Amino acid sequence: MEEDEFPIGLKILVVDDDETCLFILERMLQSLKYQVTKCRGAEEALCILREDKGKFDIVISDVHMPTMEEGFKLLETVGLEMKLPVIMMSSDDNHETMKKGIIHGACDYLVKPFQRTALRLIWQHVVRNRRNMVALAAAVAEPKSCVLVEDDDDDDLVASPAKKRRRLVWTAQLHHQFVTAVNQLGHKSTYYECFTN
Amino acid sequence: MDRNQLQRQVALKRSSLFEQQFLDSQQFVQLEDLEDDANPNFVEEIVTLFYKDSARLFQKIEQTMQSRSIDFGKLDDYMHQFKGSSSSIGAIKVKNECSQFKEFCSAGNAEGCFWAFQRVKQEHHTLRIQLESYFQLRKQAGLVRRV
Repeated sequence: MEEDEFPIGLKILVVDDDETCLFILERMLQSLKYQVTKCRGAEEALCILREDKGKFDIVISDVHMPTMEEGFKLLETVGLEMKLPVIMMSSDDNHETMKKGIIHGACDYLVKPFQRTALRLIWQHVVRNRRNMVALAAAVAEPKSCVLVEDDDDDDLVASPAKKRRRLVWTAQLHHQFVTAVNQLGHKSTYYECFTN
Repeated sequence: MDRNQLQRQVALKRSSLFEQQFLDSQQFVQLEDLEDDANPNFVEEIVTLFYKDSARLFQKIEQTMQSRSIDFGKLDDYMHQFKGSSSSIGAIKVKNECSQFKEFCSAGNAEGCFWAFQRVKQEHHTLRIQLESYFQLRKQAGLVRRV
């Protein structure tokens, strides 16, 4: 994509088990000059995404498909596997559901029915995500540039830039990937070793 | 009736749909704004899709309500989806009846659900009649774009 054309042609995968909502959303996004692929469920969405990993820039998905489990599972999988930003949407404006969405890694949560204007600036999530991926890759490549230290308030490990050379923006998505990595690696000391070697 | 008169009829019908709260003007105007040369009849297409899809959902709801031991969780999921698509086309009265149904569902009140579902179907049907007449008027007034 040419720089001066951005965000025209941004490739969006839209997931919703309700056809009416799906078609309206597709039309709204097309009117904003985004390129849209639509599908009706989590399984289909993952098939499409795995087929061509680099094809999409962002995913917009309903929460209830038909239950919350499907929506949040898709959200987590896309974040971990494809490292794409995911916007969740629902007519459910319950605070707990919205919080759950953000904690599971959604970069935004839109309450239906939403106006077209709510979609105008979604390209910002793509830019932010790309920046974070670059920072994460840099942090992993040069571990000493980003040291993880124990937060005094709780037992969370937080990123602290060493020598102020590189800054890592710690997002919910990164946190999730980090939690998975820690669980895989096991004991904390192993983890420290990995990052201080 | 000449074209201008017909077009005025269309405008009046449209206003009355909003005034009588059949449709939410903000949401409906959003859909109208999505019409262009490539999608000249988008609103009517979406409404048609909505009615086709809701028939399918109604069947599922009815089947679930007919079982000896009603799965209220499932009922709630179906109604949640129907409520979502109703509000996406701006169907206020339908959406309100859906909310009522969901309340009975949460309370596990089968009788209440039956009663509320009749009201949902009633509003759904009434809206359909209103919209069909509106789209018919539009066609007659030559307001439907021909590509």
